[in-house]
Amino acid sequence: MPPEPRVESGRRSARSATSQRPRIGIVKFASCDGCQLTLLDLEDELLAISERVDLVEFAEATSRRSSGPFDVLFVEGSISTAEQAEEIARLRAVTARLITIGACATAGGIQAIRNWFDHDEIRAAIYPEPAFVESLAMARPVADFVAVDGELRGCPISPAQLREFLVALVSGRRPQLPDEAVCIECKRRGVVCVAVARGIACLGPVTRTGCGAICPAYGRGCYGCFGPRESANTVALAEWLSDGRSASDVGRLFSGFTAWSEPFRATIDAHGGPPGPRRQPPEPGDA
Amino acid sequence: MVTDIARFLPRAELNRLFEALAADGRRVIGPTVVDDAIVYDQLTSPADLPVGWTADSAPATYRLRATGRDRAFDYAVGVTSWKRFNHPPIVPLTRGRRDGDRVAVESVLPVAPRSAYLGVRACELAALTIQNRAMRAGPLGDADHAARDEAALVVAVECATAADTCFCTSMGTGPEVTGGADIVLSELDDGFVVRTSSESGARLVDGLDLQPAESPQTDRAAAQVAAVRESIGDPVPTEGLPERLRAALDHPRWAEVAERCLACANCTLVCPTCFCTSVSVASDLTGTEATTERAWDSCFSLGFGRVAGEANFRPRVRDRYRQWLTHKFSTWWDQFGSSGCVGCGRCIAWCPVGIDVREELLAIAPAGAPSGPIPWPPSPLAGRAPAPLAVVAPAEHVTVRVADLGAETADTVTLRLATTDPTLLAARPGQFVMVELPGFAVPPVSISRMRPTGLDLTIRSVGPATAALTSLAIGAELSLRGPLGRGWPIAAAFGRDVVIVAGGIGLAPLRPLIDAILADRPRFGAVRIYLGARSPRDRLFVPEMAALAGRADVEVAEIVDRAGPEWLGRVGIVTQLFDRAAWDGSRATAFMCGPERMMQASATTFERLGVRTDSTWLTLERNMACGVGTCGHCQLGPFFVCRDGPVFSLAELGTAFGREGL
Repeated sequence: MPPEPRVESGRRSARSATSQRPRIGIVKFASCDGCQLTLLDLEDELLAISERVDLVEFAEATSRRSSGPFDVLFVEGSISTAEQAEEIARLRAVTARLITIGACATAGGIQAIRNWFDHDEIRAAIYPEPAFVESLAMARPVADFVAVDGELRGCPISPAQLREFLVALVSGRRPQLPDEAVCIECKRRGVVCVAVARGIACLGPVTRTGCGAICPAYGRGCYGCFGPRESANTVALAEWLSDGRSASDVGRLFSGFTAWSEPFRATIDAHGGPPGPRRQPPEPGDA
Repeated sequence: MVTDIARFLPRAELNRLFEALAADGRRVIGPTVVDDAIVYDQLTSPADLPVGWTADSAPATYRLRATGRDRAFDYAVGVTSWKRFNHPPIVPLTRGRRDGDRVAVESVLPVAPRSAYLGVRACELAALTIQNRAMRAGPLGDADHAARDEAALVVAVECATAADTCFCTSMGTGPEVTGGADIVLSELDDGFVVRTSSESGARLVDGLDLQPAESPQTDRAAAQVAAVRESIGDPVPTEGLPERLRAALDHPRWAEVAERCLACANCTLVCPTCFCTSVSVASDLTGTEATTERAWDSCFSLGFGRVAGEANFRPRVRDRYRQWLTHKFSTWWDQFGSSGCVGCGRCIAWCPVGIDVREELLAIAPAGAPSGPIPWPPSPLAGRAPAPLAVVAPAEHVTVRVADLGAETADTVTLRLATTDPTLLAARPGQFVMVELPGFAVPPVSISRMRPTGLDLTIRSVGPATAALTSLAIGAELSLRGPLGRGWPIAAAFGRDVVIVAGGIGLAPLRPLIDAILADRPRFGAVRIYLGARSPRDRLFVPEMAALAGRADVEVAEIVDRAGPEWLGRVGIVTQLFDRAAWDGSRATAFMCGPERMMQASATTFERLGVRTDSTWLTLERNMACGVGTCGHCQLGPFFVCRDGPVFSLAELGTAFGREGL
């Protein structure tokens, strides 16, 4: 499928003459709203934030609406329909800095697993009247459609990272959003490595930090919701995980919320694609 | 040294040791079972110890196993290392306040609880000493680390068992405890042979009023540690290893191991000696209150090698693995007079893909491999430990005021800072300061002029912190820490010709050198200054340089990469100004600063002109975060640029200068 045309970034300030506060909007596409609600999780600081920024569009919190212009627009969700593709292009044109938030917007999200399968077949498998469902063949990250100026990863995003982003925004400094492995956060916290001590499959070594190493701290392996880190050596990790696991089990480990991001995507491909209905005709006896 | 007097503490009375430590006002940190692993944590009684447990480790594997015995220290080393307590993962550094033009920054003073480290192994004792030396080797030392180290009483336990990952015998650190602890225990089935190794240890043990150990008990203790030595063998031949590694910087195995390596940093974080950290900034929404803190970091992360302008010294994983291994086993000797590895084996067990450092060493630098040619000469420190600093004080932050300022170019501003601080006023040419505006990153900035009433900083806006600094107004305050680093060796040029080469903003650190030379002009021969800039508009200190050019006793030549309509001078790269020079290089001392590529080209030209490499001096920019050699960011081969430089001679750097991936 050819990529949609990219819309150039409209880099200009939308601050009105009367207010020095940046005009901020939060919008969503194909997603669950969890990331934008993270802003409301900054309970103690909401008041201070609202004094420093002008929140002109945030359907989850205010009935006040705006179609732009925006100094900063936080975009949640993947682009999954033709209508969304048009809308993101329009928003880009009225936005100075467009920031994608969460696994759906930055990586396509869990719904991007459908990208591996036949669109009609997968629609028919879920909806009784697929003809009424108007969706694109693929659910894709916002950056596939328009230029993106920054991103906050995660499913959902981290409140600490959102706070850091907002503070950096109003202070005029660069937000500190580390791009290294989850392992570093795990070790700082003193969490015993679940991979080494319990043999649990963990994507921590190839996943970007920022979550606070939540899953390993609760005895689970990281499932990569922040997506690939810098220098993600998925080939070596997948090879190591292949000891005692089938190829499809290894592929399944990478087939989560950020499956569509490289190099997770290539690793899934190398292991036979994500679990689900195959494009090939079903084996005899399959339902 | 450990005393020969041995006493015996029956197993059932171990709680008396806990009580004595508590009575001494100490929290006890020791081994305990958490999440299927033996970790070090705060203990309240012997019941918290991992009685009846051991752990099997192998590459990428660690499994707890019941022993069926009631021994408490029947394992090799804990998952955690003691650095969690001596060098915690996160340490606050400064508190700052910026209110309009007013700025105040102060060090956060260390809070070091009185502790007892119970169950420290021989290899871990060595690690405590090694890390202590690293954190005190800078010009100032690390106050937090020093305070914690001094507040800890060390109760060592000699090993009665070894893991498959142990290799202390090769590294010469164990398994016998020969010193460095306060109290030394050897665990037998029925109790502990107790020896002491310091006055405070002896005082504490005297208070327990124990019976002397009998010789069968001390014999059994000696026999079990001898059996541990026997079972480990000598897996890594270390004789000549630092030299062999230094000669193997281009070994193909670095690329091969990088294919397996996840660069996840686990090896460095579990390592009991790795000490590298990164500094981060936090501020409130109003931007008034801000703090900085340092957190464990690792040379395996891409961000660790990042410098201004999105450049990176170690973009490839093979560079990062080489950095780690050569530092640990080779350049650590240059810097701290010992190996950086103690053979505890944690990096082997906790590597998620089972890379075994013993195997890599045998592949890259096996016994008998060539130990030359060496890429850089041995550092003056090689083979001897630096003298420990007597006093380690928290860093001083001095608030200074912008007395005047001037735009040099579209993006470069000189701030004339006023201060009466005697330390800052004693800065030498070539030194730098760490510059802090609360809420922003803290960059190192070279001093561009010393004055009786203060100093100048010439700053180019390349990111948010430098943008904020270059937009300060007269009267605004900022906070400085310094002066830091080794400056230009001006006396080395007495009686000789002087050649100065500057590229762009590189003229800033050279300006105090030019000032010093002119102030003492008769002591020098000919003085030649070659200036390069990207364009005529990017030239620094234009009127001043024009005035210099007018002097009879100084020669000034300029060139720009790209000319503009107003430019009548030469166009090209700076080496074109002197590559056909007729002067005698053997009589000259050269000083240069500019983009690394420019300095490499100049170095080549100098060599052709006969300038000796030990008479060619340059200043390096690196990612300097702590300024005193304890964060690890600015390491270049055997050097920390902030501590050993930033000024180096070409001879000192050898081929470390300009080598890819160092």
